[in-house]
Amino acid sequence: MGLVCLATGTFWLLPSALAQEPPYFVTYSHHMEEPDNLEIEANSVYATQRTGNDFIAPWMEFEYGATGWWTTEVYLDTQATFGDSALFTGYRWENRFRPLMREHWINPVLYVEWEDISGADKTLREVVGFDTEADHAAPNAEARQEHQHEIETKLILSSDFKGWNISENFIGEKNLGHEPWEFGYAAGFSRPLRLAATPRPCNFCRENFLLGAEFYGGLGTSWNFTQSGTSHYAAPVLGLQLPSGAMLRISPGFGLNDNSHRFVLRWGLSYEIGSFGRKLRSMF
Amino acid sequence: MKALLIPAIVLFGTLAVAAPALHRHETDKRGVYMPIAQAPEKNRNLQNPFEGQPDAIAAGKKLFLQHCAECHGEDAQGAHRSANLRSSGVQNATPGELAWFLGNGNLAKGMPSWSGLPVERLWQIVSYLKTLHK
Repeated sequence: MGLVCLATGTFWLLPSALAQEPPYFVTYSHHMEEPDNLEIEANSVYATQRTGNDFIAPWMEFEYGATGWWTTEVYLDTQATFGDSALFTGYRWENRFRPLMREHWINPVLYVEWEDISGADKTLREVVGFDTEADHAAPNAEARQEHQHEIETKLILSSDFKGWNISENFIGEKNLGHEPWEFGYAAGFSRPLRLAATPRPCNFCRENFLLGAEFYGGLGTSWNFTQSGTSHYAAPVLGLQLPSGAMLRISPGFGLNDNSHRFVLRWGLSYEIGSFGRKLRSMF
Repeated sequence: MKALLIPAIVLFGTLAVAAPALHRHETDKRGVYMPIAQAPEKNRNLQNPFEGQPDAIAAGKKLFLQHCAECHGEDAQGAHRSANLRSSGVQNATPGELAWFLGNGNLAKGMPSWSGLPVERLWQIVSYLKTLHK
């Protein structure tokens, strides 16, 4: 049964598990993937473009809880630019490590990611250096010629307090060519609309909704550490955690200066498969 | 195609090598599992604000089935590597110890931290767990 579900892509027929993650798209919290669970996410971002064509950039995420303190994740990025073309733009492999085994007021997580993407990547997973709207104006045929091999690191700091999650990320990204370190930030807060659970299962009750906001932008480079000349965004986020194990998220984002896309809309659907590794191993 | 092959190898390689550590259930003098018994004194003596409330027990059961049953089994008797939650190692613990343990987990041994759930829901789960010894 399990093998058939995986092979045919009908993974939602496998027993699910409920995640406990905040609804952020850009900001990371200290909540890791539960050990042995696999979360499959389909996300997209739509952005307006003043000099060029608007675009939609969908990406898939496969997030696996290798241990309680180590989460590993693979991203597959694509994009479609209106009036141009659609293409696969590369992959990313991310690892997050929790160095402290217990909860504290502030919980650090170390993040390391390898990126093999083209210059046509428009997923806007983070803003670093002097990333601006103009970077996405080049035609796909031209942008795809540029290959980016990058290491991205993050220091994730996250706290839970009275139902709120508050998270801050400090980003450092290095192109393995002769480029300087690029820096960025992301911060977010969120809270369920109801803290205690109700006795009966329900889909659209307040306890299943998560509401918050996130803020992200660039901080220049190691040669010029600054907030100007780069882009900044503010984005409310809304998540709906369904008892089936699926989570829906949506986030309209707004550029805060002339270097930013004026409007960015993100949406995503995720589904968590409990004890995925054990089920996979039992097939062989 | 090559670009897709690399992430696939990474994912399945991780699945293969991420063999979890074996659990050893050492206990304290009360028979409580040591990872639970390590709760700080201030947490150990906390009272469950939902203690004995039927709605909280029902909500706790719902949360247990959503978050815990995958590993511990729907009957909470433990499965695979996870502990039997009806055992004295769990049931002899105070509500405060259980709430603290749910919030912290035992990350090195595969028990996740459930601090992402509001503390009210952790107490509701504790309310349900405490009914399992009957």
